[in-house]
Amino acid sequence: MPAPSPAWNRRVTDAAPVLSRWLLGFLFLSMGLNKALHPEPFINLVRQYDVVSNPYLLNVISAVLPWFEVFCGLLMLAGIAVRGSALMLLLMLAPFTLLVLKRALALAGAQALALCAVKFDCGCGNGEVFVCRKLTENCLLMLLSAWLISRRASRWSIRFALFPESPSLPSDPVPGHFVK
Amino acid sequence: MKKVLLEGLWVAFVGTTVAFLANAFSPRGLTLNRDYFHLASPQPSGNAVTNHAASRPRANSPEELLAASLKAVNLNLLGSNEVLHLFHDPRREQDLVIFVDAREADHYEAGHIPGAFEFHHFHPENSLATTIPACQIAQQIVVYCNGGNCDESKFAALTLRDYLSDVSKTNLFIYGGGMTEWTTNHLPVELGERNSGRLLDPDPAAAPRP
Repeated sequence: MPAPSPAWNRRVTDAAPVLSRWLLGFLFLSMGLNKALHPEPFINLVRQYDVVSNPYLLNVISAVLPWFEVFCGLLMLAGIAVRGSALMLLLMLAPFTLLVLKRALALAGAQALALCAVKFDCGCGNGEVFVCRKLTENCLLMLLSAWLISRRASRWSIRFALFPESPSLPSDPVPGHFVK
Repeated sequence: MKKVLLEGLWVAFVGTTVAFLANAFSPRGLTLNRDYFHLASPQPSGNAVTNHAASRPRANSPEELLAASLKAVNLNLLGSNEVLHLFHDPRREQDLVIFVDAREADHYEAGHIPGAFEFHHFHPENSLATTIPACQIAQQIVVYCNGGNCDESKFAALTLRDYLSDVSKTNLFIYGGGMTEWTTNHLPVELGERNSGRLLDPDPAAAPRP
């Protein structure tokens, strides 16, 4: 069986980051909009995590976080400041995943259930989910975000990096894309 | 890496600004300076739940824990028998005994205790013309939500107390079982708006009397 041609390899290499940021962008756009358009259930869920006791801080987190997710999702889809957006998504996903795990462990202990049998609405915008599935999803999303942070350029992006690389650094010599 | 961090800061700054503006202009946006859950309200001295639990045998059942948490904020819990007794109280005809549904509007319209007023603690201003005046003349007010883990009734009661400065702790109650228990007991359920007259397939043979 002949080895894949360099052109095929390049197509796969070019497609992977585009598909990844489209997937991340779509997910965060849809989940963020779901929460932004239903802020009352969301603030209820944020309160149940017992992270903040100050009512105004609780309001700010509950009001701003969903729209911030929508903003980052749109940036991802458009291919603007991809690495910065991916960094922000990673910084949101990491502590949130830990909070979900902590709450799941508490619920598992209180209800005498196995961890993976615990099901609750974690506030991500998808309603009640089994916690193991949610943790796995979040870990994959974090890996995807970290991978996008490490990328240098991509096709089909309006402006992949806000701050252009210095001339001495290599960049993907792909003709016809918008990256600056 | 430095460029990635700078880009991240740019996204954070612009994104946060956009998010604040979006919340401000969204018709469903949260009011940032409102204490929706009475977190800033002065708490009873010491840990009232702990003190209350320490003075009596350990409270293990969810009902006892719920009663203790409500007592910590000077609210009283009612069981299903007491609620049913109040529902059949003749004073309810004159709105001297009233029920207040603390759930969202769509849940209320899908079915509520007959004659119950609507009051959602996120939008108390929607109830200024109806529920608040009724609560001011009522002798006993029973607030409920879905029951179980739902604590909307507790926050609705606390918000009502803010609006009704002369309501004492003796006339504001929480129905712990909520709508879930009410419908499980095959009790009458009214559809649509208050006093619509549309009942959900009542089953008088199954409904308990006090």
